[in-house]
Amino acid sequence: MYASRRARLTGLLYLAPALLFVLVFTAWPMVQMAWMSLHSWSIIEPPKWVGLANYLRAWNDRQFWTSLGFTLEYTAWITPVLIVTGYLLALLVVPNTPLRKLTRAVVFVPVVIGLGVSSLLWYWLFSYDFGLVNRALVDLGVVAKPVVWFGEDANRAMWAVITSIVWKVVGFGMLLFVAAMQSIPQEVNEAAMVDGASYWQRVRRITLPLTARTVLLVTLFSIIGSLLAFDQFYLMTAGQPFNKTATSVFWIYLNSFPYLKLGYGAALSLVLAVIILLMTVAQMALARKTHA
Amino acid sequence: MRFKAYLRAMALGVATSAVMTLTVPAFADDLIMWERSGGNAGMVDRLIEMWNEKNPDRRIQLTYIPHAEMVAKLAQAIASGDVPDLMGLDLIYGPQFEAAGQLVDITDYFKDDPTLKTASPGHMMVATYDDRLYGVPLYADVSALFYNKDLFEKAGLDPDKPPTSLAEVRAYADKITALGGDVKGYFLPGSCAGCNIFTVGPLMWASGATIEPNADGEPLVGDGVKQVLQWARDMIKAGNVHDDARAENGETFHLRFGSGKVGMMGTGNFNITLARDQNPDMNFGIALLPGVEPGSAASFIGGDLVTIPKGSKRVDDAVDFMKFLLSDEVQVEGYAKLLNLTTRSDMTDNQYFEAEPLVQDVAKALSVGRTPYTLTFFEQINSPQGPWLQMLQRAYYTDDDLDEIIAGAQDQMKAIAAQE
Amino acid sequence: MSAEDTLVRPAPRGKDAAQAMPGGRAAYLVGALCMVIIAIMIAPLLVSVAASFKTTAEAAAIPPTWFPHVLSLDSYERLWSYQDGLPTYLFNSAGTAVLTILICLGLTIPAGYALARFPIPGKELLFVFLLLALIIPYQALLTPLFFMFAELRLTNTLAGLAIIHTAIQIPFSIYIMRNSFEAVPRELEEAAVIDGCSSWQVLLRIYLPAIRPAIVTVALFAFITSWNEFLAALVIMNKGSIFTLPLVLAAARQETSIGGTDWGMLQSGITIAIIPCVLFYVLLQKYYVSGFLSGAVK
Repeated sequence: MYASRRARLTGLLYLAPALLFVLVFTAWPMVQMAWMSLHSWSIIEPPKWVGLANYLRAWNDRQFWTSLGFTLEYTAWITPVLIVTGYLLALLVVPNTPLRKLTRAVVFVPVVIGLGVSSLLWYWLFSYDFGLVNRALVDLGVVAKPVVWFGEDANRAMWAVITSIVWKVVGFGMLLFVAAMQSIPQEVNEAAMVDGASYWQRVRRITLPLTARTVLLVTLFSIIGSLLAFDQFYLMTAGQPFNKTATSVFWIYLNSFPYLKLGYGAALSLVLAVIILLMTVAQMALARKTHA
Repeated sequence: MRFKAYLRAMALGVATSAVMTLTVPAFADDLIMWERSGGNAGMVDRLIEMWNEKNPDRRIQLTYIPHAEMVAKLAQAIASGDVPDLMGLDLIYGPQFEAAGQLVDITDYFKDDPTLKTASPGHMMVATYDDRLYGVPLYADVSALFYNKDLFEKAGLDPDKPPTSLAEVRAYADKITALGGDVKGYFLPGSCAGCNIFTVGPLMWASGATIEPNADGEPLVGDGVKQVLQWARDMIKAGNVHDDARAENGETFHLRFGSGKVGMMGTGNFNITLARDQNPDMNFGIALLPGVEPGSAASFIGGDLVTIPKGSKRVDDAVDFMKFLLSDEVQVEGYAKLLNLTTRSDMTDNQYFEAEPLVQDVAKALSVGRTPYTLTFFEQINSPQGPWLQMLQRAYYTDDDLDEIIAGAQDQMKAIAAQE
Repeated sequence: MSAEDTLVRPAPRGKDAAQAMPGGRAAYLVGALCMVIIAIMIAPLLVSVAASFKTTAEAAAIPPTWFPHVLSLDSYERLWSYQDGLPTYLFNSAGTAVLTILICLGLTIPAGYALARFPIPGKELLFVFLLLALIIPYQALLTPLFFMFAELRLTNTLAGLAIIHTAIQIPFSIYIMRNSFEAVPRELEEAAVIDGCSSWQVLLRIYLPAIRPAIVTVALFAFITSWNEFLAALVIMNKGSIFTLPLVLAAARQETSIGGTDWGMLQSGITIAIIPCVLFYVLLQKYYVSGFLSGAVK
């Protein structure tokens, strides 16, 4: 009954504000970013056309590659940790008993607080003099004297950050896994139990394959989120030591704003966006394959 | 229904008031001033207070900006056209903003002003670009060697004979560290670029080296660079520096000396009052930061300029505030009374400095002080992610070849300086 | 009852896993494990809130104490009057969040309606276009956005920040809205149309009540994103008086060169920043969970 011209127009009218918004505040900035990346564009001076010089500079920018390398390394470590922890937690809390529901709810709490705020919280917990992590380790006799978590060893700093992020976001994956597990038909499991399959056998043969799509999905979220990591490193490590923990977004931010090189920052942003887009496409292709 | 109406009204109210507060400043006659946050906040507060008492019709409203964000924030403000009327600018960033034409030229306002003749030369140098003047000193930070006389005595050293060469610093530090406990001979901040240019930079200068690119565009010139790096590496290897110094990113740097657990360290004049507050019973002295040769010395003259960003509509009032800062009364009753350095060299003879010999000691550093002049100071040196700090960290905490470390830093600094 | 009962719609589930594990010992083990996990997850929040009630001296003690020996509101007092004062920052944060919610709902309710109920040419393509923000992270767009905002005089405004936060939230919100409009039975609408209602009246009278859960979900997520967001605020806001709460906390910590970190004040700020998030979570758990599930499983 709506298939009239009028209905089409009305529909477009309802859609128009959102379309306009996305056009102005997402699509147009993308075009502008490409344009800016071809300029030397300090905030405080007028832009100058430089062609592809910014991309050439990115190619030769050691810190850009170090940052990208570190970001990938961080992503490669945190993603499996998040998936495995989230999955094990989900297995534990999937039945709807009161205690498990409470556990679910509590594990999810950090997801709702801000990343900036949680990073400051963990910055304090890991602080050398004032941090309770060191206090606990010393009290328990694990270490003789406090550990310098941030600023001494890039790996140690990364793992401290990973700890904080796992605490912060593990509930997200867990919740999706629980939902996926709960939607497995009861009969499938019961049939397997009749066949005498043990708990872990059933997890391996039934639960895992039937939740594979969700696992892939959470992996995708984790990868994208980690590739864009900024808050946690800006606030906790400040890129130290030796700039080894300065992530890609961190380096983009530094160049664009504190160093006043907007054009170069835009070029780096574009490179990063393309990398992330490629990863997303690859993941989705993989997901489709698994699904089919 | 009524509840819904309430909700709607509230939402509307919040939205409109949110929009309103953005566009209407609190008091139309106030001047807005930004200043970086830091240890001089107490004194800047006092200066503003003095001005506001005298000028109730044109008070200054002060906002502090985190130090690491200052360049970015000011640049963003300029780009948005929403600038403060006065800006307390870390003096080393002066040239960058002057070159970009973003500060108001105040040369003509100060044409016949006699106070400028004695104003801190380091400040005046960076406040001048192409023979035009863009700012006046807001305050001066000068670095020197602070040493703990109590620990000197305990270690069997003469508290009236501070070290005069790097070798002596090393020897004394060894003795103080040997006291054991939680006491260490020296302090080197491991993750703070600014602290290091302030306190380790002078060691290199005193050893005949230069840090920022010289007239030929060459950074880090002279054997002094390597000698100081080697010395620092050895100091740390010998256990003369606390372990957690490595994580020192500037947040607790100013509290280190006053803790009483550090025998000697490079720090600044602001630390006198601070250490007194922290540790009233501690006896300490101040000497000059030495170099390799006995008797050589240098210092970093830092601090802030007060400038007027282009776009300020209150230039006349802002200039009055600048003149006010340089006036005799403020020099004595503002700066000197709080035991801060006067920004004019002819104002050091005053009752407050006479009562506090340590200020006189630290003021001696002014005569051997210098201020680096470069357009990209932040990116080359002061940035926590810049080549200067990276070089120091590699020297302090790795066994990499020093020549290679220095060469790497030179390449990076030159690359930055070459960029437009 | 807990909202998480309804985690999954095709639901009624037994107590399978526990049942499957042999006997009481396993059940105790599971119980103990749950408690340990709860303790681990809660501990960081608990010690932080506790630390916010330490006296100034105790908050700066080395080594730190686990719990305050004397309860004190010192930290909160300092936070209250820090720089422009806590009320200003709370107002900025809340104002941005409210604006974000309003803009977000104002755009996505009609859009969801249009996508679900109108025969728009190239609809799928337009839908994908609205999800554009998914493929390009907003972090990458901040540079051009900053410049655009500088020209539009939107930097240093709550409205400007709210626009960026809306841009972040658009794909999720559109998706939720479209789905919930589609889930409303068409019969309801048809009856109304026969009664002579215009499409606008249908939206107001039929759909708005029917999609209320989606509105709550979208508003909730918009609030959480906006209240917590850090990087865009860092870039867009450069005046102390217009900072949002996360920025102030970061700034308070970064009183570098000299000034030091006021740990107690930082903890009190963290506590205050966390309260609304946790409160809304506890009160509106159902919407949270459904939002996360439908938002993620696309």
